[in-house]
Amino acid sequence: MTETTEVGLFARTRRAIHPVVFPLVTGAAGVGALVVLSRVNPHEPGHYPTCPSLWLTGLYCPGCGSLRALHELTHLDLVGAWDMNPLAVIAVPWLAWRWLRWLLETLGVRRERRLAPPWVLWTVFAVVVLFTILRNIPFFSPYLAP
Amino acid sequence: MTTVPPPPPAVPVPPVGGSQPPNNNLVLAIITTILCCLPLGIVAIVKAAEVNTKWTQGDLAGAQASADAAKKFSLIGIGVGVAVAVIYFILVAVGIASLEFNTY
Repeated sequence: MTETTEVGLFARTRRAIHPVVFPLVTGAAGVGALVVLSRVNPHEPGHYPTCPSLWLTGLYCPGCGSLRALHELTHLDLVGAWDMNPLAVIAVPWLAWRWLRWLLETLGVRRERRLAPPWVLWTVFAVVVLFTILRNIPFFSPYLAP
Repeated sequence: MTTVPPPPPAVPVPPVGGSQPPNNNLVLAIITTILCCLPLGIVAIVKAAEVNTKWTQGDLAGAQASADAAKKFSLIGIGVGVAVAVIYFILVAVGIASLEFNTY
């Protein structure tokens, strides 16, 4: 509803671009990033910045190891990726699926947007928090820390 | 200065339950949390979950507010992440440059 009432240069420019451009550009950027990530090894220090949360607090955040996990995934090493960050491994197919739905929506394949039951999202939240706590406890670190 | 087009005819307010739920922006929240390594993403996940809770309770305005908050926290998180990366690469470039300067 709000889209139809937007005025101004930004909104008009956005309307002039075919909506399919946005998912295509996003997808191309994602693939480009993965190509770089597969070539430039994040296991070797100095190629990428350290996670700012880890640097500031010394604690592993839920995203620590995801760069290395994605690197392993581009080399089809599922076990290695899981060892680095299991949540990233789970997130990748889901993000790919959401991207595909976004692409189809901009191509006119419309499906009514339905929200997941709230408990699904609260479970996601609980899993992320639990994962963050456990991977910083020495007993679980060998399994959950990157 | 330019002529503003006349506003579109008023759209009748859709009945509750018949309107589209807001985008809960969970995708951005997950990207921030998992791929951008900032705890702001966790706040965004909470806000995204609030969208679904409030929507099922019939709180349309609240759901929209939570959706906007989820987007805001995600974008701040991604912005900080990108800024850290940019600063890092600038420091590396400067470091390498000064290293070469000292060597020769």
